[in-house]
Amino acid sequence: MLEIRDLDAAYGDIRVLTGVTLSVGPGEIVALLGPNGAGKSTLLNSIAGLLRPRAGAIRFEGEDLNGVHAHLIVERGVALVPEGRRLFGGMTVEENLELGAFANRARATKAAGLERVFALFPDLRERRRQLVRALSGGQQQMVAVGRALMTNPRLLMLDEPSLGIAPRLVRSIMESLIEINRDGVAVFLVEQNVQAALGLAHRGYVLESGRVALQGSAAELLGDPHVRRAYLGPLAVRR
Amino acid sequence: MRDLAGRHERRWALAILGSFGVLALVPLVVRREDVLNFLFLILLSITLAESWNIVAGYAGQVNLGHAAFFGLGALVARTLWIGGTPIGAGMAAGALVATLFALLIGVAAFRLRGAYFAIGTLALGEILRTTVNNALPEISTLPARTIATYRLTERYYLALTLAAISVLAVAALAGSRLGLGMRAIREDEEAAEASGVGALKLKLTALALSTGLAGLAGGLFAFYHISYYPSHPFGPHWTFDALLMTFIGGVGTLHGPVLGAVLYVVLKEYVALRWVDFHLLIFGALFIAIVLLLPGGLVQAAARVRRLVGR
Amino acid sequence: MSVLAQQLVLGLLIGGLYGLAAAGLSLVFGVLKVLDVAHGELIMLGGYMAFFVVTLVGLDPFVALLLVIPLSLLLGLALYWGLFGFVVRADEETRVKNSLLIGFGLALALHALAVRLWTADERSIVTSWGGAVISVGDLSIPVVRLVSLTVAFALIGGLHLLLARWRWGKAIRATAEDWQAALLTGIDVRRAYLLAFAIGTALAGAAGTLVTVGYSVSPSIGLEWTLKALIVVVLAGLGSMIGTFVGGLLLGVAEAASAAAFGGPYREVVGLVIFVVVLVVRPRGLFGR
Repeated sequence: MLEIRDLDAAYGDIRVLTGVTLSVGPGEIVALLGPNGAGKSTLLNSIAGLLRPRAGAIRFEGEDLNGVHAHLIVERGVALVPEGRRLFGGMTVEENLELGAFANRARATKAAGLERVFALFPDLRERRRQLVRALSGGQQQMVAVGRALMTNPRLLMLDEPSLGIAPRLVRSIMESLIEINRDGVAVFLVEQNVQAALGLAHRGYVLESGRVALQGSAAELLGDPHVRRAYLGPLAVRR
Repeated sequence: MRDLAGRHERRWALAILGSFGVLALVPLVVRREDVLNFLFLILLSITLAESWNIVAGYAGQVNLGHAAFFGLGALVARTLWIGGTPIGAGMAAGALVATLFALLIGVAAFRLRGAYFAIGTLALGEILRTTVNNALPEISTLPARTIATYRLTERYYLALTLAAISVLAVAALAGSRLGLGMRAIREDEEAAEASGVGALKLKLTALALSTGLAGLAGGLFAFYHISYYPSHPFGPHWTFDALLMTFIGGVGTLHGPVLGAVLYVVLKEYVALRWVDFHLLIFGALFIAIVLLLPGGLVQAAARVRRLVGR
Repeated sequence: MSVLAQQLVLGLLIGGLYGLAAAGLSLVFGVLKVLDVAHGELIMLGGYMAFFVVTLVGLDPFVALLLVIPLSLLLGLALYWGLFGFVVRADEETRVKNSLLIGFGLALALHALAVRLWTADERSIVTSWGGAVISVGDLSIPVVRLVSLTVAFALIGGLHLLLARWRWGKAIRATAEDWQAALLTGIDVRRAYLLAFAIGTALAGAAGTLVTVGYSVSPSIGLEWTLKALIVVVLAGLGSMIGTFVGGLLLGVAEAASAAAFGGPYREVVGLVIFVVVLVVRPRGLFGR
């Protein structure tokens, strides 16, 4: 569904990604792991059209995404929940969600989409007229995921959704991702919480210094000694 | 490192001062007043542009209130000179007042960044102009005995000297640690602060130098004109002229403002003769083109042409 | 006492126009992060548009708004496509600086053009019912200016609704908050910019019309009105059109009060002083976020 081949990306003179090759199949949940500064956000931003790669190919459902304007990529069915939520703070929950249905592909299904989001995140229904600024981090994250969901995506990408969120809410959000996936949406998840990410993913990649260092099924990665040592901490190794 | 930084500027300074040397000979050969007046205007413009360039090109801030200091210099110098003080002392006093005022507002003004600094200084300039306009609405005319002893060549040489001083000042600045520090701020203020450059102090120094020169230029203006409205030198078009000249020539370079000033005055005189208001239209369009396409002005354009043609 | 009251009322009446003038600038600055210092010149052009529409076609000036607003909208589109559309390609800080300079060049060119085309003379629109005055006790309120204030308020109200209810109005607000997030939501940010700039120019045209009707127009009103608009934008802060309108009223009243207290010539200074003080002390303005 999503195919990335030999991707090179840079910010000015600073090379961030080198020869990255990976894929996400329809209906899959794929995790992207790695240390800070490895280039995970850069990869997502490149796919979403916020950054133009220097070289390589990004193909979604057979079509080239490279060079397509960001809002048109949303039209193709790829949605990104960016790091730090990036909500429209001065607007209400409902307004933020409704804006998610701005793209043409989502306009017709706006009402149904809104219902779907409220079903997934009941907390938001009662807060729909509140300004997003006033919500907690976890609730804001729900709005962010909801807003992306409103675009009617076939591929949902998330950049560190658990960052700065209480553990209880993290679990809640992860569970909602499973449900979203069950509805047929592929999920590409960048997460620092490796345990949680590999808990729900089918497959995963490990990005280090801008290159794909490891790949495999979730079980394989969980069992890999390098992964365990670097990302799972002493507690996990003992198992 | 220090030598390298100022070398380019020093070569240009020598070239410009050389031309000034030639200009010094002009009154000996030419008697015509209109030629001298024309050259005077160019020299005054060079001083104004170079002084504006210090804050814009070296400290990286767009000061839209530059005329306020020009005006203050003129006001103080004129008042003192008509009162009997020799013009030299009057001009110095004018420059001092201008600099003091600049330092006074500078601390507050530099809390503003980018565009806010620009519009804030614009407002300050306008405040001064309006106040002076209200306080001194009557035209200031030289007393008859002063007019009787008016000699244009005196003013001409003073203008030449002042222009030379401004060029030397910028050249010295460019090569000094002060100048390097200012350059660093201009490129990236946060990074400069982090490496201990002390941004505010440097900016204030740049402002003091800039406004001091502008104040001197104001004194020259007061010395030159027989009669004018006291609020006239406070008018924003003096700032805008300096801005245009510097940008068209090339901000942050030594010779940019000189080139820009020469081009501006020459073009203005010739175009204005034929189509009175088109010269501003042309300059406006030229300015826009330069900001968008050639931020480095004519200096950058020349460099590009040289590269195309092949050294 | 009644002289003061009269002055304050007149200040309020022009304050509404200050607010309208500022609204366009605020919209453009808030959304595009572009400081169009040629905004006053756009107001001036709107004024001339109105003058010629009324003089040539014979329409009532308030009806002329129906022509001037669409024309100004088109002018805004042209200016964006031809000029400001290129400015937004840079990052935010460069954008502001560049727009300041470019706006300045544009202002210079437009001013020169206006002088060339229409001379430096002041023009005013005289209506048949122009001199009419409403008397409330000791106060006499010029009808034309009162209607102008009402129109200005209506336009601001309309703008507020447009931004709140219209699909693209919401898109414009979203773009103002976070243009990257807006892109990720599927909003064509360039089109949002275009619309915001065009609407801003249309508002300037409307303001110009009202200025010409109630007062007069000449090529040199550009800088004056740019400053007024800037003062109100800084005073009110970004983000609220109603707040901007109120800011305009406040400036008008402040000017009138200072003229009454210190004498006419210092009317201009108080606005500028408020401007500088607010800039330094509370940069986000009274109602800004």
